[in-house]
Amino acid sequence: MLLDFERIWPSVPYILEGVQVTLVYTGVSLFLGFLWGTFLALFKVSHVAVLKWFSSFYTSVFRGTPLLLQLMLIYHAIPQLTGYTISVWEAGILTFTLNSGAYISEIIRGGINAVDKGQMEAALSLGISYPFAMKDIILPQALRTILPSLVNESIDLLKESSLISVITGADILRRANIVASETYLYFEPLLIAGGLYYVLVMILTMGARILEKKLKTS
Amino acid sequence: MILLENIHKSFGSLEVLKGISGRIPRGEVLAIIGPSGSGKSTLLRSINLLETPTSGKVFVDNICISDKGANIGKLRTKVGMVFQQFNLFPHMTTLENVIYAPLKVKKMARKDAEILGKKLLEKVGLKDKAQIYPPNLSGGQKQRAAIARALAMEPEVILFDEPTSALDPEMVKEVLEVIKSLAHTGITMVIVTHEMGFAREIADRIWFLDEGHLVEDSMSQKFFKSPKTKRAKAFLEKVL
Repeated sequence: MLLDFERIWPSVPYILEGVQVTLVYTGVSLFLGFLWGTFLALFKVSHVAVLKWFSSFYTSVFRGTPLLLQLMLIYHAIPQLTGYTISVWEAGILTFTLNSGAYISEIIRGGINAVDKGQMEAALSLGISYPFAMKDIILPQALRTILPSLVNESIDLLKESSLISVITGADILRRANIVASETYLYFEPLLIAGGLYYVLVMILTMGARILEKKLKTS
Repeated sequence: MILLENIHKSFGSLEVLKGISGRIPRGEVLAIIGPSGSGKSTLLRSINLLETPTSGKVFVDNICISDKGANIGKLRTKVGMVFQQFNLFPHMTTLENVIYAPLKVKKMARKDAEILGKKLLEKVGLKDKAQIYPPNLSGGQKQRAAIARALAMEPEVILFDEPTSALDPEMVKEVLEVIKSLAHTGITMVIVTHEMGFAREIADRIWFLDEGHLVEDSMSQKFFKSPKTKRAKAFLEKVL
């Protein structure tokens, strides 16, 4: 087996720049997806039938279809339907946000349900309104228990963000592919890309372990 | 004053309360007693609408609170509750537990709320626990903190749902002492309890519940000396 890293070497900084792109896609989508997922979870535990129905239908659609399909639909269908030319950035962030929101809403719903019922009753018995009770009493306790699951979701999203390369987003994978087609060397740039993803995921995993330990002791 | 009119409550096909009517005058201490499963806690929880009666009406201060559109939040600021399982907020310090509702619901200034909170913690003997988180308190301390939290809203009525049932025996007394210190200070108290000695000592009036019916409504001394009904008599013979 012949590996020719020497010819790839000048292109390594170019691939490395993709790390930032991947992290921005992941970070921004995760943040927005968390906000959206929180609302969806609140809909799910609410007593309003329409909201409950909407959020569970929404979740089943986004979990029941391939992310790549969702990405292509948003990237290609929005210009066709609205005439608005959506950028790769917008399409990527929008798709990842909508998709991770569905998964995160399930995680948060589980966390809310795991909080003792007495907590809400105690809050209500003090005259605290439902929204305040949720925000200050229930959600802070729910978030503690679901932090590890949220880290797992961020790991998933980090890897799945590579789908953006299909619609030409210049992330790690896309850059590795460009280098490959310029040099006719495939194995080396893809190996570098794989290594980068692996290192990023390992960093997240270690962070999650430290966090879990801290939560257990406190 | 609290007025209950023909309260029914069912969970699915199980009817827990089968038409309970009664009147609790302002400032009175009422103990609700009866066998397990008689509906005591459900009745108590109907007074602040943690359980919505299937039918019947609940009046607090002549306002029907079980009507649709009644301001339940406002009612609940007048009716405090102490739970069997304490239900302190574990992510807040003891002091924050006590002052959270005055801060958010009454919009009290933080400074005033902290003064009030410290005063109440002193009253229940937890002055030095203000900055401690509830998981680090003993059961008795938790329940005393929960009482301080309920008092912080300066309620007219306070409901106790088996306040000592989850406590180790050696901690029962300290909690009962605190509850006793509140009796006959103007606040109306409704206590669901299995502590017969305590009920006898503290209550003005006894409601004896059995199988979802209010079987007997008597003044305390009379009830324990000579219960009117056979069922109450049989119950007392078993537990005393």
